[in-house]
Amino acid sequence: MKKIKVILLSLIIPVTVIIVWSIATARGVAPEAILPSIKSVLNAFRENLASGQLAQDLGISLSRVVKGYFAAVLLGVTLGTVMGMSNNVNHILSLTLNAIRQIPMMAWIPLIILWFGIDELSKIVVIILGAFFPIMVNTFSGIRGTPPGYIEVARLYKLSRWNTFRKVYLPSAIPQIFVGLKLGLGISWMAVVAAELIASTEGIGFRISDARSMMKPDIVIMGMVVIGMVGIVMDKLLTFVSKKSTPWIGNKG
Amino acid sequence: MNGGGCMPEHVLRIKDLYKSFKVGREDIPVLQNINLEFRKGEFITIVGHSGCGKSTLLKIIAGLVEYETGEVSYSGKRIVEPGTDRGMVFQEHRLLPWLTISENIGFGLFNLPKEEKEESISKHIELVQLNGFEKAYPNQLSGGMAQRAAIARGLASNPEILLLDEPFGALDALTRIQMQKEILRIWKEEKTTMIMVTHDIDEAIYLGQKVVVMSARPGEIKEIINVDTSSLKDRGSTEFAHIKKKIYNHFFQDENIEIEYTI
Repeated sequence: MKKIKVILLSLIIPVTVIIVWSIATARGVAPEAILPSIKSVLNAFRENLASGQLAQDLGISLSRVVKGYFAAVLLGVTLGTVMGMSNNVNHILSLTLNAIRQIPMMAWIPLIILWFGIDELSKIVVIILGAFFPIMVNTFSGIRGTPPGYIEVARLYKLSRWNTFRKVYLPSAIPQIFVGLKLGLGISWMAVVAAELIASTEGIGFRISDARSMMKPDIVIMGMVVIGMVGIVMDKLLTFVSKKSTPWIGNKG
Repeated sequence: MNGGGCMPEHVLRIKDLYKSFKVGREDIPVLQNINLEFRKGEFITIVGHSGCGKSTLLKIIAGLVEYETGEVSYSGKRIVEPGTDRGMVFQEHRLLPWLTISENIGFGLFNLPKEEKEESISKHIELVQLNGFEKAYPNQLSGGMAQRAAIARGLASNPEILLLDEPFGALDALTRIQMQKEILRIWKEEKTTMIMVTHDIDEAIYLGQKVVVMSARPGEIKEIINVDTSSLKDRGSTEFAHIKKKIYNHFFQDENIEIEYTI
């Protein structure tokens, strides 16, 4: 019962948008070249799906996201943990990393193209740069937020540093780490599309930019909607993993 | 090393202990002139105001807090770090929320072979009467039950001394009395040396064989009262009331509490 209510409530805005959109196109508020009808967007979707173009574009972008994202997760969680557990490492890195964090991702792109060219690697580097910081910062604050009382218990039983990490810091930080993982995933999508818009010959971001220059707004919107949908699916997947890995949360008897 | 006399086994000895904390640039003494000696199997209670340094004293014995001046030793060995010969139970149960009750109880047993570990866990679950809750998470337990699990964790590594830092302070009055009876029963069964810090005078007299009365800021020992008679386990007895008055007067010298005599 409650689930149905949640679904209904979360559908209010999308349904309203669709209604307003169809009314606007039916009345011819804007020319088809600027605001295509829902029908033509659906047609574009069907055509691209049938021709395999969509699967190919999505596959390429997705593989970039996965590669860059996993590298960022590895780097971000490791560095966030080490900085959280060791004051010295934190002092060494925090100023530099904080300064780098202030530079917008887009500002990196020219330099990245200069250094890594316009091949696969440069896109992956853009994703890593974008996704790394939210993951690292959240991991760090999760580790730092471990209640001192629990750490004292670990000291009492003379746990090694590794075991203290495994049994105390990590489980305590996991919810916060997942916040970072979700943010990082969103940014990975942003980064891949941005990178493809600027320099690429394939991928979903390229498709959108290509469609714009060919005056095909239906494909532009289709591409955007598909990115949103895939993003939601991946986010839900992460939520699921997060719930599975923290069985002690929210099962109050 | 020792100033004459024998050095008996299993004696916890605190000699001229002084401990201060730095607050800003100032050294604030929290413990001063602490001299104590506890023998194996005793139940000691330490009673004092909040912030009189009694928790710090307990943590020094546990090896969690460092000290510079004086000597704290167990069985003739200076205490410098935590060890399996000492267990501790805190006011907040401090069970790890991500571990089940049996995993929590076995938390300190990572060096034991699996079977021995399991055996110790089930023995201590039995001891604190938490059968049936092995797979539960701490947030599914009531305060009293969680504190039982914490006591079981403290005892699971078979310490010779169990340090209890106001373990019942956060419990409601009825659960608290229940837990006091439980800890006495456990003490009699396990024969572990118990050192409990409390600010509850009743609790201190009811549980302790010796009650150490401490003053606040800096924490100093005012008196050590022997209360090891069976009549003192009856909270309604006149002896109980007398001792209570005696301790009470240490904290509130200008007031006198009226004792009701029922003959």
